[in-house]
Amino acid sequence: TKPLWKGDRLLQGPAVPTRCRAAEACVGQVVLPGDVLLLPAHPDEDGERLRLGAGAAPRGRLLCGPGLRRCGVGLLVTKCGLLRHRRAGGAAAGGAYWVDSQQKRYVPVKGDHVIGIVTAKAGDVFKLDVGGSEQASLSYLAFEGATKRNRPNVQVGDLVYGQFLVANKDMEPEMVCIDSSGRSSGMGIIGQDGFLFKVSLGLIRKLLAPKCEIIQELSQLYPFELVLGMNGRIWVKAKTVQQTLIIVNILEACEYMTAEQRKQALSL
Amino acid sequence: YMGDEEEEGRGAYVCEEKKDGTIHGSTYYLTQRSFMPCEDLLYGRMSFKGFNPEIEKLMIQMNSRCKEEIEVDDKMEADVSDEEMARRYETLVGTIGKKFLRKRDQRVLQDEDEDGNSNTRPSKKAKKKFLKPQD
Repeated sequence: TKPLWKGDRLLQGPAVPTRCRAAEACVGQVVLPGDVLLLPAHPDEDGERLRLGAGAAPRGRLLCGPGLRRCGVGLLVTKCGLLRHRRAGGAAAGGAYWVDSQQKRYVPVKGDHVIGIVTAKAGDVFKLDVGGSEQASLSYLAFEGATKRNRPNVQVGDLVYGQFLVANKDMEPEMVCIDSSGRSSGMGIIGQDGFLFKVSLGLIRKLLAPKCEIIQELSQLYPFELVLGMNGRIWVKAKTVQQTLIIVNILEACEYMTAEQRKQALSL
Repeated sequence: YMGDEEEEGRGAYVCEEKKDGTIHGSTYYLTQRSFMPCEDLLYGRMSFKGFNPEIEKLMIQMNSRCKEEIEVDDKMEADVSDEEMARRYETLVGTIGKKFLRKRDQRVLQDEDEDGNSNTRPSKKAKKKFLKPQD
């Protein structure tokens, strides 16, 4: 019996008839799980053969982002949403394809920066609720300047901004509040006061996009501080409670407002 | 055949995740579960209009790191100027050198200072030569 999957690559084609379209044709359109996206001719990835004279040597590797998996002839879609593409150059050398899907439930991913709530202290390790299926663990040594004698002052109920060190489906997720060079770079315990609320994951990505209009418009209003976690949690702090609540309401509502409605709401 | 089966078998159970989050990277495809490299997202902590100056500094640092690679300036600002350093070292060598003189030489040095003779040549008078017994 031939195996179906090799790592994360589907060896056999899908058994049911599905749509097989060229990847470039689908960019910006809705794709459904099971669709196969064909990519332009590329060198065989298992054999390192060089294409002589074709001039189509890959200048980088194609990034197969969230919602997509490799299958024999191209990419297999595993989530429904809009297909996005980014050209080669910059961070994604060789181009990137991914599916822009919407969901509320967060699944821990390595490298993501999230806001966690401390739920328990178990010896040397804190247990954090990050909105996933399991609680993440955070060692007390994973803070900047922490030693065995100099422990960080973390209590149950505190908010912590950190990133995932280990996050896969086989193990309990592990978080740290320092980066690879040992500096905190903004991570750690989030201070007193402020307001924490939850939004959908798609809105977080929209807010974190470079040149986000919503954030730019809000920043013109009054001074405030904002922490966005990739698990859908946002923490806001402004000078007064009223200002904080105004920002919270705008951020919660802006997902379904058009630009004009938003400007109207802000001018009030 | 055996090699092929073995590789396939291993691949079916092992889904290796590399350091930067890519899974089972082959030479052409890279599989990523995170949105960060796809969409070039900004850093999650933000502060506006001077509410938290440290965060604002961090914002500039982090976001420009994503866009261009800033050359880290390793040269630290000198607290002490070069001239002063040279002057200091000049006297320092003498001070430390005195530590390693033998006791006899130290006594001679003291005598020299008392005489007021500022002769910096190492005095050979201190070393008593072996005197041959005269017949």
